Amino acid sequence: MTEKKNRSMIQRRLIPTYIFLIIVAFFSVFPFYWMISAATNTTFDVANGKITFGGELLTNFQNLLANYDLWRAMGNSFLYAVVQTLLAIVICSLAGFGFELYHDKWKDRLFSVLLLAMMIPQVATMIPLFKMLSSMKLLNSVWGFILPSLSTPFLIMLFRQNSRNFPVDTMEAARIDGLNEFQIFYRMYMPMMKATYAAAGVITFMNAWNSYLWPKVIMTMPEAQTMPMLIANMSGGYTTDYGMLMVGVLFCSVPTMVVFFILQKQFAEGITGAVK
Amino acid sequence: MKQKKRMTLLGKQSAAGWAFLTPATILIAIMAFWPMIQAFIMSLQTGSSANMQWNDPIFNNYTRMFADKVFMTSVGNTFLYLIIQVPIMLILAILLAQLLNNQHLRFKGFFRTCVFLPCATSLVSYALIFKSLFATDGLVNAVLVHLGILQENYNFLGNSASAKAVIILALIWRWTGYNMVFYLAGLQNIEYSVYEAAKIDGANGWKTFWRITVPLLKPTIIMTFIMSINGTLQLFDESVNLTNGGPANSTITMSHYIYNNSFGAGGVSNFGYATAMCFFVFVLVAVLAFINMKVGDTRD
Amino acid sequence: MKKRVLSILLAGVMAFSLAACGGGSDEGDQAEQEGGGNKLTVFAWDPAFNIPALEAAAADYKENVNPDFELEILEQAASQDVETAVTTAASAGDYSNLPDMVLFQDHYIQRYVADYPDAWTPLGDIDINWDDFAAEKLDYSTIDGEHYGVPVDNGTVVCAYRTDLLAEAGYTIDDLTGCTWDEFMEIGKAVYDKTGKALLCMNSDGNDLPYMMMQAEGVSQFKDGKPYITENETLVTIVEKLVQMAKDGTLLMPNSWSDYTDKAIQGDQVAGVMNGNWIIPTIEKVDANSGKWEITTMPTLSGEEGYASNGGSSLYITSNCSNVDLAKDFLAHTFGGSTVTYDNALKDGGVISTYAPAGETDVYNEGVEYFNNQPIYADIVEMGTHVQIVEQSDYHYSARNYVGTAIVNIINGADTMEALQEAEDQLNFEMGN
Repeated sequence: MTEKKNRSMIQRRLIPTYIFLIIVAFFSVFPFYWMISAATNTTFDVANGKITFGGELLTNFQNLLANYDLWRAMGNSFLYAVVQTLLAIVICSLAGFGFELYHDKWKDRLFSVLLLAMMIPQVATMIPLFKMLSSMKLLNSVWGFILPSLSTPFLIMLFRQNSRNFPVDTMEAARIDGLNEFQIFYRMYMPMMKATYAAAGVITFMNAWNSYLWPKVIMTMPEAQTMPMLIANMSGGYTTDYGMLMVGVLFCSVPTMVVFFILQKQFAEGITGAVK
Repeated sequence: MKQKKRMTLLGKQSAAGWAFLTPATILIAIMAFWPMIQAFIMSLQTGSSANMQWNDPIFNNYTRMFADKVFMTSVGNTFLYLIIQVPIMLILAILLAQLLNNQHLRFKGFFRTCVFLPCATSLVSYALIFKSLFATDGLVNAVLVHLGILQENYNFLGNSASAKAVIILALIWRWTGYNMVFYLAGLQNIEYSVYEAAKIDGANGWKTFWRITVPLLKPTIIMTFIMSINGTLQLFDESVNLTNGGPANSTITMSHYIYNNSFGAGGVSNFGYATAMCFFVFVLVAVLAFINMKVGDTRD
Repeated sequence: MKKRVLSILLAGVMAFSLAACGGGSDEGDQAEQEGGGNKLTVFAWDPAFNIPALEAAAADYKENVNPDFELEILEQAASQDVETAVTTAASAGDYSNLPDMVLFQDHYIQRYVADYPDAWTPLGDIDINWDDFAAEKLDYSTIDGEHYGVPVDNGTVVCAYRTDLLAEAGYTIDDLTGCTWDEFMEIGKAVYDKTGKALLCMNSDGNDLPYMMMQAEGVSQFKDGKPYITENETLVTIVEKLVQMAKDGTLLMPNSWSDYTDKAIQGDQVAGVMNGNWIIPTIEKVDANSGKWEITTMPTLSGEEGYASNGGSSLYITSNCSNVDLAKDFLAHTFGGSTVTYDNALKDGGVISTYAPAGETDVYNEGVEYFNNQPIYADIVEMGTHVQIVEQSDYHYSARNYVGTAIVNIINGADTMEALQEAEDQLNFEMGN
């Protein structure tokens, strides 16, 4: 009885919090709602600011399929983003593991130097990178897309930071049990750092999926086109069909959202470095 | 004897550590530092990118940028965004994280997802949405006129002050949730008993926030601060997609201007000058990040 | 258990990714081998305009010249992407990634040929009678007397007006033909008072209107390779008129290009549109206004009929072309002299030619219902022949940007001469003068 009363009192005191959160949630979700409603309207309605649902979704979708190779772009984006994510988290976690758990003066210094790379503006390195990759004949290939962002200081930092919570004693124990250093990484570190892998994976996937500037430079053939490039093509002409465009945008947004929804719990844990 | 064996064992382990970090280090060296060195050489040159000549005097591109009014405007704009947007966004993010960390709160997952949603929305849609919301005949105008706040429809993106405000709003909208996740995760690492103890000691919410939450979140705050500074100083997408730098270059950012000088509108690419400006940005980011780390790092 | 699933999954995806990478590089090799024979590749943009025109040319060539011919159109998001592709290829010194031909914006080509001479193949002895094309159009693609490109579309400026709205204000389109800008402003005010619609429109970040108005006067923003702004009385007068019109409500200034096309024009906010004729398909999107539009020439300061050109592009052969003879033959038999190509380009994409014989075909001389059965296409080809050549510069768009910036600043209260001085200083600065 009293406990119940107590609980309802707490809830009552939380009312302002709820109101505030509902307002914030509304503003956060509204543009998303607008995107979906725009996908169901004609281009005129969208341009004139109609925000209710219409009945044009199927027509817009059919227009999109008739004019653009949606599935190819989706397939490409998936391929690039998945390959980049998997390779990047393996390479960067190896580095984070090495930097933190085997750290000495020189490794720490090297790490500070690597951090500098985080501050290099992308436009600065674009031309030299293009030169390099085109001489390696990697234009229009998965490797051309992923190589520049396989190893990022941010991911290394994330793994390095989170490795602080990795129990060093068990490492010693494992060594006595006869595990070599790589086996420690593969059998102990990887399973225990699952949450960090999830967080790193979500971030990398989202960056890879949404990247636009670099693919535009390196992917010159339509066969290699990505989703963001396809969407840019749709809004580049003298006239834009907004209904069709928003269907494209919807397809472009869904994968990153799905990834986040599935992994959001691990994402939150991984960011802080929970170790299981 | 025993000592020596132990040394080699440690040596072996250290070598293993080096082996682990080698692939990542080599990749960064080849894909970031080497291009950066080439870019630096380019920044001392002038002419078309197919046939570049050494500058005379050699640092001409660097002295040139300080006489370039548009570039100086872009520096001013970028710093304005930085000074206004980053603190508001981070404070809002901490506040939201604190609210969502309440044990008794219901629908936590729902709220968290809602707040995070903006940063999962693709850039094109987000730019389009903000453009149409703030259009002269858009929804925001309709609401404000209806409420009597505005007398007549206002061209938000056509006036320099309000266009800047829209960019700042858009940035806050997009990135607050992202930063909140970091704080929320940080807060969940703080044992609830710490708060209970504070409550027994008679500390109110405000006090616990400043005395417990902020100090414990310090590493996270520093990290998000550096990330935000870095992101804002390299701000590009919003300037291009929302206002195209206009009206009359009053919202253009440094990266946008650099892009215009390398590939963008105008048709005249000047890579030497563009890369010189890139180095200016690089130095700014590095200096600010360094100050931030020094100021924030009291732990070691 | 869970762990095993994870590792199997991981291994599986790794294998998949490696296989996929292999696949990717194979495709690259294939594309290289396919170079010769009867196939050409081309970069182009705008699926509603240029691309149907290229398809029409390919069909024409295939049917009438070479049945084995194949043209692969590699669609780009915008003209800027083609420029970026050339810039990056040239900067890297590796042209192998360029297609056989590119569609390229006229205003940029001089600079790109000067900066990256190795990226192009001059047309040399190609079998085209150049006299059939409008001189102003060819002026862009001719560098040091050498032809580099074959014209595709036509940038001739049209002034399209809503005759019904003019009538409401008591005017006809004849009043706007061969009128002075002052008369135009009067009519504009009357139309605005009666109907609430602007007679003129320009996106505030686009600034092509001052350039068009100056070309109609035969004046450029450049003189002897130097910026010609503050001392250019014509320019100053034009800027003052534009500012006045903006204040009167006669000149509508949407914030961006998409607002210009999607809101101002298609949103039915204007009584007049003044731009390159490629804007016509945009005007035609509003079904309800069919039959109410007509086109005419531009006003000038003196009251003579004005002609100008804005935008447009031509086809160029790159240095990476695998079969130059085929490309030249294709160009000569399509955009270089086939009325069939031009008829279909017009029907499918609304692309109008500067090729004089094309203007004589039935397709061109047919009345267009949307424009009150006016034979607008033949009219436009004819108008194109009157466009004057004005001094061009590599910094054409920069000049336009700075003048446009000045106009926005003046409307917002800056002093006219100070703002223009700043534009000139900034332009001189960019040009390194």
